[in-house]
Amino acid sequence: MAKKGEGTSAQTGVEPEVQLENLGEQNEIDAAISDTGAVGEGPGEADVEEFMNIAQQLENELCSIVVGQERVIRELLLALLAGGHVLLEGVPGLGKTLLVRTLSDALTLKFARIQFTPDLMPADIVGTTIVTEQSDDNAAGSRRIFSFQPGPIFANVVLADEVNRATPKTQSALLEGMQEHTVSVGDATRPLPRPFFVLATQNPLEMEGTYPLPEAQLDRFLFKVLVRFPNAKDLIRIIDTTVGTQALRAKQVASGEQLLQLIETARAVPVATHVKEHAVRLLLATHPDQEDAPEQVHKYVRYGASPRGLQALILTGKVRALLEGRYNVALEDLQAVAFPALRHRIILNFDGLADGITPEDLIETIIEET
Amino acid sequence: MATVVPTAIVQGAGDGHQLTKALQSWRKRLWLQQVLRWAENGVITGLIVACLLLLVSRFTPWGAVSYWASGVAIAALLGALGAALWYRPSFARSARLVDTRLSLHDRLSTAWELRNNSAPISVLQRGDALKQLSKHRPSAAVSLRPGRMRLISIGIVAVALALLFLLPNPMNTVLQQQAAFQASLARQIAAIKQERTAIDGQSSISAQERAMIDKILSQALARLQQAKNGTQAQQALAQAQAQLDQLRDPQASNKAQARAAASSSLQDSSNTNLSAAGKALATGDSQGLGTALQKLASQVNNMTPAQRAQLAQQIEQSASQALGNPQLNAALHQLARAVADNNPGEISDAVKALEAAAAQDSANQNTNNSINQASQTLQNVANALASSTDNSTSQNTSQSQTSAQGQNPGQGQASSGQAQNPGQGQSNIPSQSNNGSGAQNNTGNKSGKNEQVDIPGQLGTGTSTADGNGGNGQVQPGTAVPYSQVIADYEQMAHEAIDNSNIPPDLKNLIQGYFNSLEGQK
Repeated sequence: MAKKGEGTSAQTGVEPEVQLENLGEQNEIDAAISDTGAVGEGPGEADVEEFMNIAQQLENELCSIVVGQERVIRELLLALLAGGHVLLEGVPGLGKTLLVRTLSDALTLKFARIQFTPDLMPADIVGTTIVTEQSDDNAAGSRRIFSFQPGPIFANVVLADEVNRATPKTQSALLEGMQEHTVSVGDATRPLPRPFFVLATQNPLEMEGTYPLPEAQLDRFLFKVLVRFPNAKDLIRIIDTTVGTQALRAKQVASGEQLLQLIETARAVPVATHVKEHAVRLLLATHPDQEDAPEQVHKYVRYGASPRGLQALILTGKVRALLEGRYNVALEDLQAVAFPALRHRIILNFDGLADGITPEDLIETIIEET
Repeated sequence: MATVVPTAIVQGAGDGHQLTKALQSWRKRLWLQQVLRWAENGVITGLIVACLLLLVSRFTPWGAVSYWASGVAIAALLGALGAALWYRPSFARSARLVDTRLSLHDRLSTAWELRNNSAPISVLQRGDALKQLSKHRPSAAVSLRPGRMRLISIGIVAVALALLFLLPNPMNTVLQQQAAFQASLARQIAAIKQERTAIDGQSSISAQERAMIDKILSQALARLQQAKNGTQAQQALAQAQAQLDQLRDPQASNKAQARAAASSSLQDSSNTNLSAAGKALATGDSQGLGTALQKLASQVNNMTPAQRAQLAQQIEQSASQALGNPQLNAALHQLARAVADNNPGEISDAVKALEAAAAQDSANQNTNNSINQASQTLQNVANALASSTDNSTSQNTSQSQTSAQGQNPGQGQASSGQAQNPGQGQSNIPSQSNNGSGAQNNTGNKSGKNEQVDIPGQLGTGTSTADGNGGNGQVQPGTAVPYSQVIADYEQMAHEAIDNSNIPPDLKNLIQGYFNSLEGQK
């Protein structure tokens, strides 16, 4: 949980005027960070070592509290360190909320949870303008002014729980924030605090009365992570760690500023041309109108992945390379991140749905044939 | 899932020079390995192609197959070596290969691509790549030993090649036959050329006739040189013989007989000069004939009318013997009338006409002799070629053969021509030509398996005459065709006809059996 006064002012949800001023500061920070990517500059050995140390500590902390979900934690970290949002899909009770809360604890970030329901309105997410009384010393009285009351989206880590239960109108309230990191209410555009992560969950079983996320919304998520049911050994560990008297809580590993620095460090990892070409081939292979696409893609896919999928592949590939102790992206990195990066971007056609084909099957075929 | 802390960065990896230096040895090793691998591939490919060629040579006669097989194997090896040397792996490709073989996760290829990038993380990446690379040695990581499967493949193909080389090739007998045929053909071509030279040197025939004979022989030579087999050679020879027959005077035999009869009648005369003229006419001595006739003309002036009438009657009898030779007949008639009339001018004219007729006859005879000589040469060539083909066939089938020698007594109509029948081991069945005026009655002895048997004309047209005295006759070249060739043609035609017709299978077998039985008699 972020303390008041720490990090950027945007993290704390202050007045609109102040927010607009701080928006200029934020842009300067962004520009400064972007400048580090120039040739001859950028993160050095110390930055990389810091990245690896923090990432390792973060992963250890998460794994110590969230038991039996190592793969989910690794994929969540990949998306987090790449600066992207994550859609977690799994049945209730698997620790999705715990995972997100533990993450925010370990990073000392402001955490907000939004339980999506059919009657949830956009203003409940982004905030609204209200009339408040303000004391006026000169007039020896008070006066009424309009002030903006920020919604829960003004946090660093936003858990959008059961995001598919809200109406599309409410779901769309997240779109601008996820893509532009700003929120427009009335005639004012307010920046969101940085870092800003949306971790949404959805239940694949109870689809009655839900509103599946549209493709445009899905595409905003860098990863779609499937939370599987833990095995027997992990269930035993869950018993040992959760039903005893000891209450586990994650240690603080890094601040939001450090996290932003880690994201920039990861972005500096070089990518060879042949690796980029392989990523492009992977992406194009998801499109049924491509001649080189596998036969199964031609048969079962309606739409392939967008260029955001390519960005996801490369960005998370860079993070994975650093996590694996390398300074370059390898082909195996792309193949490892292909499943969470592409599975929600491949839209099956009727035949695919009827034949029980999953995007994972198609991605596996694409990796084998590309 | 623990995060791996990277190894210490190699100091001094700030530029790409060290990377180039480190990759150099790997590149050389990879190049050497490529040369060896491609050479192995070239050897395997070359051996397989050589095996295929040798296999093909077992179904199709191919004399130079061993050279081709060796050439292809060597060419494949050299081609593979050349390609391997030419396509030297680049540094980028070497980096990719080393990445793959050492599982360096694209470290080297990325480092090589960003070797000139001075960004700190690129320098770190290069150092990491060099550090990882330094853990391996090219000699240990890039093996130059051929793989077991490659060695086994080479061994199998080599054994197959050795077997194909060592096992007897059934097509070798065919090749030997072809070689024997070609050798025989070359000898016979030389004989024809020699005959051609001899005819060119003859002055007794006109230049025009020499040129025509020469043209026919040269065409025959050209066809023979292009002949692929015995059948084509025989056809070329038969065609040349037919052309020579067309040059021959069809009445030459009659004229010769008439001249012989007339000269014989003149020799029987009691008048010495007339008898001498008959002898000169018989021998073709034009000078002697002129002298005898001049003496006879002088003698006529001193004869009594009765003696002149008797002399004229003798000459007239001779003229009647020369009915087959109109020119000689007319000249003798003219001489008989001039003698009877005792007209010196007419006698002189008649003498000249007789000398001219005799000279013409002599020239015709010389021309015919030349044509006969050329035709005989061609016939000898045909017989020799047929004999060589039969011999090679019989040798290759390992059949014991008996040297057959027969004599052709050549009983024919007697004439003044003299000839020997050179054909040994041959028995020529009488041949009748379409245009021939002669008849040949040859009673040969057919003994032995390899006798050359000719049957009545199948190819060409021409006369077939046999002149002989007392059993020594010359067989005039006719249109005889070797029996073996004819039966082979018949057999082939019959097989084709059987295959192309709707004859029931059992009848097909019956017909094929018939021709197979004939084949045994060839």
